[in-house]
Amino acid sequence: MNGAVRSLTAVIVAAGVLYAMQRSTPLYSDITSPVPVAGRQGERVDTSAFAIGIAKVYLARSITFPSLSRTQHYATSGVWVVVESAVEAKNESLGLTSAEWLGPDGLRYRYSQRLTNVPGMPGNEQFEPGIPRPMLMIFEVPESQIAGARLLVARSPYAPLAEEAWIDMAALSTDDIHPSITLSRGGQQMPWILKVE
Amino acid sequence: MTDERQSTLRNRLLALLIAGIGGLAATAISFGMAVYAAANPEPVPVVAPGKAIDTGRWIITPERAYSGNTPPTGIPSPDPRTYVMLEFDLENRSAVSSYASTNLISLDPPIPGLKNPVVHLARDSWIASPVHPGMPEKMVIAWEWPAGLSVPRALRVLVGGQFYKRRDNLYGASSWFNGDTVAVVELPVTAEQRPQ
Repeated sequence: MNGAVRSLTAVIVAAGVLYAMQRSTPLYSDITSPVPVAGRQGERVDTSAFAIGIAKVYLARSITFPSLSRTQHYATSGVWVVVESAVEAKNESLGLTSAEWLGPDGLRYRYSQRLTNVPGMPGNEQFEPGIPRPMLMIFEVPESQIAGARLLVARSPYAPLAEEAWIDMAALSTDDIHPSITLSRGGQQMPWILKVE
Repeated sequence: MTDERQSTLRNRLLALLIAGIGGLAATAISFGMAVYAAANPEPVPVVAPGKAIDTGRWIITPERAYSGNTPPTGIPSPDPRTYVMLEFDLENRSAVSSYASTNLISLDPPIPGLKNPVVHLARDSWIASPVHPGMPEKMVIAWEWPAGLSVPRALRVLVGGQFYKRRDNLYGASSWFNGDTVAVVELPVTAEQRPQ
């Protein structure tokens, strides 16, 4: 009798321990996720591979960009968020190919692939150690995701355990939304020219 | 002493027998259920055009199908080609921006020699980029119809689902996976150009 009680207890305890271990095991995605480096807009944020500083943020209902053949107007059901920043590589030449707008609801908006031909966008620029260069990031987000957002910048979207800049963005209000922004090709120093209308 | 040993042996045999029968019964029931499910598949609902379909990751509303010689980009190819196009609304219900899944729309029955279709964003009249969460967009999927094959009067498309696994079976990572067909949509194909 005593033995039966003891073995039953052992089975229940073992089941409990196994259940707890199953529940508390971190997800593979969590184990291999990028390492966040916190920062704020207007400050220099240093990761091991690059440093980034966010200068200005513009909001607009539409973006105009003259492409090779025609001037294209880009409309959106939400808001365009245009982020001007400066990036400097630390140890080796690199490009940044991952930029995400993390809204207050935890939704992640990748930088817009509709405007990838705009100079200065992630992927179009190469950064050298010791030479800060401007970088442009454009996001398309719903109005509800503007305030209280974070900007996530990393070297690549698939780099486990690489450092990722998590930049708290200054509060933006829907009153700051411009009707239109015109982007055009710039010169050597500034790859793009931004005009607010 | 011998009696006691015999009774323990009997107990052990009994326990083994019960465990064996239980295991066999579980195997038989699970096998039977799998066979039954395979033999009696759930009927796939036929959904009318204009009705929203929940595929798990996406909410898709097929609107209309049409054919023409200009692809949705509005740039005709130098040699004459025919395109069959399907216009639909697409909403991303997941938490990250994502390209429309490859199994989202497929023709039934499959057309031999058909190239993979291209999904376009109607807003830009250009090849679609990722669709952002909470921002529904009008999309146009275009099939380049094989030369020598007449354009169909009606399209029958299968809408494929995607489901989320918090831990997948291989790595234990969270991701979305292509699932079964969740709906069938039948649309008439009108011969016309895309709206300008």
